[in-house]
Amino acid sequence: MLGIKEIASYLPENKISNYDKKEKFEMDDDFIENKIGVRCQAIKEIDEKASDLCVKAFEILLKKQNIDKKEIDCCIVVTQNPDYNIPHTSAIVHGKLELSQQCACFDISLGCSGYVYGLSAIISFMKNNCLEHGLLFTADPYSDIIDSEDKNTALLFGDGATVTYIGKDGIFIPKDFSFGTNGKDYRELFCEEKLYMNGRAVFNFTATTIPKHIQQLLEKNGLEDKDIDKYVLHQGSKYIVDTIRKRLKVSEDKVPFDMHEYGNTVSSSIPIILEKEMLKEENKRFLISGFGVGLSWGSAIIEKV
Amino acid sequence: MKATVESVKEVIAEAEVLGDVSDLKNDLALRDQGIDSLDVVNVYLLLEERFDIKIPDEDLSQVRTVNDIIEYINKKVN
Repeated sequence: MLGIKEIASYLPENKISNYDKKEKFEMDDDFIENKIGVRCQAIKEIDEKASDLCVKAFEILLKKQNIDKKEIDCCIVVTQNPDYNIPHTSAIVHGKLELSQQCACFDISLGCSGYVYGLSAIISFMKNNCLEHGLLFTADPYSDIIDSEDKNTALLFGDGATVTYIGKDGIFIPKDFSFGTNGKDYRELFCEEKLYMNGRAVFNFTATTIPKHIQQLLEKNGLEDKDIDKYVLHQGSKYIVDTIRKRLKVSEDKVPFDMHEYGNTVSSSIPIILEKEMLKEENKRFLISGFGVGLSWGSAIIEKV
Repeated sequence: MKATVESVKEVIAEAEVLGDVSDLKNDLALRDQGIDSLDVVNVYLLLEERFDIKIPDEDLSQVRTVNDIIEYINKKVN
C-alpha cells in the first residue's frame, strides 16, 4: 500500500538569535521561550533558493534510504516562495537531481497546511496513475520575504526543507484527511513584497477553528484522544500550539514542540517532527494538522502498518 | 449576559495569563499588569466567546482595563 517510507529534513546551519533582538522589540526571556518559542531562526544563504534546499533534503534522504533515482516517477514541491514565477520549482528540482524523463512533476502553492494537502495529493495522484516511487518536498524560504523591522513576523520564521519518500510498503499510511478554507480572510496573512500578518486574526482563527476541526476528524473516524499517540501540529508559535492543545484538553506530552532552535518553517514544520516521532516504537497513530495562509487548514490521521 | 468585575476576572483567570487575578487593578491597563501582547489577544477572544460579542481591532483602545471591558461589554450587550 502506498504510504510514507522515509522523511528527511534539512535545516540551514546559519542561525540568528532572538535574544539579540530583545531590546529592539522590548521583550523578555519568557516571551522568547514560552510565547514565541523560537530562540534561533535557521536562515539559508542569500543566494540559495527553494530548489537548493530541496536538493539538500534529498541528499540527506539518500543517506537514510537506498533510493534509485531512475525509479522516481513523481516529484511534488510544496512552496509559496518558488525559485521563479515560471517554471515550477519541481521541474528545477527534477533537473538538479537528474531524475528520469518519465517522472511527473508539479508544485502545490500552499503555506502551513501544505504538507497535509501534499500528502493527500501525492498518494492520490500516484494511485490514480499507477506510480510507485514519489518524492514530496516542502520548502518555503520565508527569510526572503520577512521585514526585519516587523515584530509580528521577524521573530517567528525559519528556513528549511523536507522530503517525504512515498512508495509501496509504506511504514505509515494516511487513514483519513479533512480540509478547510476561509478565503474571505486571505489578507490576514499576505505577501506582495514583504509578509504581513495580522497576529490577532491568525490567533483567533487557529484557536477557534482548528480544535473543532481536529475534534470532528476524530469523531468521523470513531476515535478519541486515547487512540492518538501524538498530535503533530504545525509549529506556528509556542503560544498557538499551547492554545490548541489546551482547547483540545490534550496532555502536553502528546503534542511535541520542536521549533525552539530553527523557527516556523511553514509547510516543513509537520514533516520535521514526524521524521523524529516515526522512529519511536510507541507511536502507532498520529494526528497531523496544518493551518495558516489562505486561510487554509488540513488534518490527517496517519497509522503505522 | 452582563459583565461584572467577577465575570471578567474569571475570564482572565481562564486564559491562564496571570498567577493570581485577584491582584489585578480594575483601573490599570492589563498590558501594564504583566499581561503581554499575546496574552491580551487570548483574553479578548475568551471575552468574545463568553459574552457572545465581537471586539473589532478598531475598538481595542476602549478595552484596556477591567473597568473599560465591563463598560464596553455592557454597552454592546444592551
